[in-house]
Amino acid sequence: MLKGIGDLAEGSGSAAIRGNGAQLSARLLVGALMLVAIALMTVPLLMTAYMSVFADGVVTFPPSGYTLSWYGKLAEFPKFGQALGTSLKVAAAATLLSLLIGVPASIALVRLNFVGRGFLNVLLLSPLTVPGVVIGLGLYVLLVEVEIRSEFPLTGSDGVLILAHLLITTPWVVRLCVANLMQLDRSIEEAAANLGAPPGRVLWSVTLPMMRQGIVAAALFAFIVSFENIEMTLFLISPGTITFPISVLQYLEYRFDPLVASVVVVQTAVIALLLLAIDRYVKLSKVV
Amino acid sequence: MMSQDAYLRIEGLTKAYGATNAVQDVNLSVNQGEMIVLLGPSGCGKTTTLRLVAGFVEATRGRILVEGADYAALPPYRREMGMVFQSYALFPHLTVAQNITFGLRMRKLPKAEIARRLDEVLEMVKLVPMAERYPRQLSGGQQQRVALARALAVRPKVLLLDEPLSNLDANLRQSVAREIRQLQKAAGLTALMVTHDQDEAMTMADRLVLMSEGKVQQIGSQEELYEQPLNPFVARFIGHSNLVAGELVDADTFRLPGGAVLKLAGRYTQRGPHTLALRPERVRLHQPTDDAPPRATARVEDATYVGGHVDYLLGFAGGGSLALHEPTGAAGAARRATGETVAITWDGLSERLFGSDEAAVAAQAA
Repeated sequence: MLKGIGDLAEGSGSAAIRGNGAQLSARLLVGALMLVAIALMTVPLLMTAYMSVFADGVVTFPPSGYTLSWYGKLAEFPKFGQALGTSLKVAAAATLLSLLIGVPASIALVRLNFVGRGFLNVLLLSPLTVPGVVIGLGLYVLLVEVEIRSEFPLTGSDGVLILAHLLITTPWVVRLCVANLMQLDRSIEEAAANLGAPPGRVLWSVTLPMMRQGIVAAALFAFIVSFENIEMTLFLISPGTITFPISVLQYLEYRFDPLVASVVVVQTAVIALLLLAIDRYVKLSKVV
Repeated sequence: MMSQDAYLRIEGLTKAYGATNAVQDVNLSVNQGEMIVLLGPSGCGKTTTLRLVAGFVEATRGRILVEGADYAALPPYRREMGMVFQSYALFPHLTVAQNITFGLRMRKLPKAEIARRLDEVLEMVKLVPMAERYPRQLSGGQQQRVALARALAVRPKVLLLDEPLSNLDANLRQSVAREIRQLQKAAGLTALMVTHDQDEAMTMADRLVLMSEGKVQQIGSQEELYEQPLNPFVARFIGHSNLVAGELVDADTFRLPGGAVLKLAGRYTQRGPHTLALRPERVRLHQPTDDAPPRATARVEDATYVGGHVDYLLGFAGGGSLALHEPTGAAGAARRATGETVAITWDGLSERLFGSDEAAVAAQAA
């Protein structure tokens, strides 16, 4: 992506020599806007990385020196292992389950014509329209009511967390898979039927393989949406098990030292590596 | 027309969408090994007819018989037809070889037989070196040949071709058309092809089916459609015709609304409003002083030299016009200037008269 911007900047440079004034200023404006956009995205990240090597115990500027020792103390971050583990576990389970629901649902929505299709579409996308805080609070009240009546402990369990995250990941899976399916040439599936493949076989051997890019993109979005969710999750955790973003939030309530910055850098690096790994199999620039 | 031993027979095939019929009462019998081309303007129902035969569209009424067995109720995957799609519809995630063998694997043929047929069709379409490539690595012409090979490999009962040449470069089209025709003949396959391109239809077909507004207008050889169009639509669509409205006032006198009078070549018993169809290339120009009595005189409105012929637009006194093509380089051909008065003639075989019900009117035997 950065390389592409470099090419564009180069392009505008050579245009400056032969282009007329209006064209030149238009290109300069586009270039400037892109720089602003890149800065907006990268400066907070770079600042966090910068802070994570401050030597002082409290973040002050300018720092008295630099050290990598905070990275050695990651294990001292309260609940680092438990929070990261819970987040990864919940995100992975929510992703898998939302794929199991979302992929068949999107195939039905795009390829079949049935009564209530419009309703199902709206239903599957509706959690996107409700603020996370509202969903979280609503679920919490519901869980407490059910707990009181059934005397069965629900709040704070991983299962409940996974089900709740399913609410916010499934709309993304449906949206991305529907978009993917709509742009697939329907006659390819007809060709399979024409060659003797019954409907189930067409689905398995042609439709699903062709959806691969959409499914990977959907999984990616679902995982990230679940992994970084705070506002809904806040209502559903118990003191014992918290998710990673919440552990960072709780830490920041009492302290602001370079350790939290290094924790965030490590988390960003993990996600970035995950994206790079997936990019080797499916070109992300094509699916997102 | 309806021979009982036809290989493929379509009877009363109709597809209704709401109140409109996309395809209405199509009847057609096709002999084994014959290539039938469905031709017509877009929206005429030709593609729907093909999709009805393939089974992608469910017929509202009618029968589709192959060797006497009715296929109309069968799902597409049981019909054993081989279709070449306009977009080629290759499986993007499979190699050329896997694309071609897809239908064979669905039929659960033994591995050795699959390999043998793969080699055979790859050889046929000259794609042996491309077997392990993916469709996106091939040119449009090569993709088209993979699509054809995939359909041929299953040895279909009927080969269906949906605008197979429309996505190819103009200079590739002719050679691919010839190739498809050769392969179809060599394999002795019965084929239905859809196209909107008249030249394509003329070169590929054994017989043509011209459709318009969901209905068959005429079925026949190229020559039949060209020389004996059954209605004004056919006359205009195949090779273009002048369609001149007027009135039969006498056995051989045709009067235009503006008053000009044409002397017809044939003699007719009918009277009243009719439409005269004349091919621009079958009408000849003469000096008004020539000995042969002209059928009409007219004024040159416009003359355009287009290489092989001169494209004249003639106007009759009082209104009405006629296009005329005169071959260049012919003996006695001279360029007429705009405004000149000329005489025109044609012979009885080139004249076609349609009644107000659009049906062709026959001339009396001489």
